[in-house]
Amino acid sequence: MTLTRAWILLVALSALTTLAAAGLGGRWLALAVLPLAWAKAQLILNRYLQLSQAPAIARGFALVLALFMALMLGLALAAGG
Amino acid sequence: MNGNAPSAERPSALDALPGDLMMWVLIVSELAVFGAGLLAFMAVRLTDPAGFAEAQAHLSPLKAGINTIVLVTSGWFAALGLRAVEAGQVGRMRGLLALASVLGVVFLVLKGQEYAALWSAGIGFETHAFFTFHILLTGFHAAHVLAGIVVLALVGALATPQAVETGAAFWHMVDVVWVLLFPVVYLL
Repeated sequence: MTLTRAWILLVALSALTTLAAAGLGGRWLALAVLPLAWAKAQLILNRYLQLSQAPAIARGFALVLALFMALMLGLALAAGG
Repeated sequence: MNGNAPSAERPSALDALPGDLMMWVLIVSELAVFGAGLLAFMAVRLTDPAGFAEAQAHLSPLKAGINTIVLVTSGWFAALGLRAVEAGQVGRMRGLLALASVLGVVFLVLKGQEYAALWSAGIGFETHAFFTFHILLTGFHAAHVLAGIVVLALVGALATPQAVETGAAFWHMVDVVWVLLFPVVYLL
């Protein structure tokens, strides 16, 4: 993926996040925007920061970030969304 | 006798990391600090979900969403700047880093407008726990944006691929923190 395609995807995911915030609420909003945040962070790490050059470390980052987002999602759902 | 030689020469996974290892140490450290802050925010929110929702209504998710696009676009310029200096195009690199910095200033102006609106509504650091976290997390992040603008100017002047790679990595770290912070503080 080129840098420009990564940027276009980041802008699209950011717009999708804002649209989700306008149309969803409560737990559905958390279920939508936290995975989108994970995807954006992955794109920045792998494309802008070129972490994809180090696949083993990139997988480690992806896993830790996914666990972090799962924890945030759990806390969001526990608070009612 | 030479039994240990092959293992001593075995490449480490860290060898594949792009850029300066110390910058990655900084990136992981910063992500851990902001991650702990966001987890604390979400944990305290459990004690008063209605109060947090009411406080959050004073913020503009649209402006924060625009700021997300501003930052990821500035990150794109910084990444293109690195490609330019690697290709020996120093003038193009400086132009791209300048564009990244200008967008950093735009981010800070929008953030300043947000703080000014809260201040004029009589909202401060101690109004509610939500605002304590909001000002701490976004203020600390804004300080990193400001530092990043200085770093981009410095590496633009140095104009070596190594310096620009390190400066751009700092800028991308600021990007990553924002895309994680934005939904938690402004949307949930």
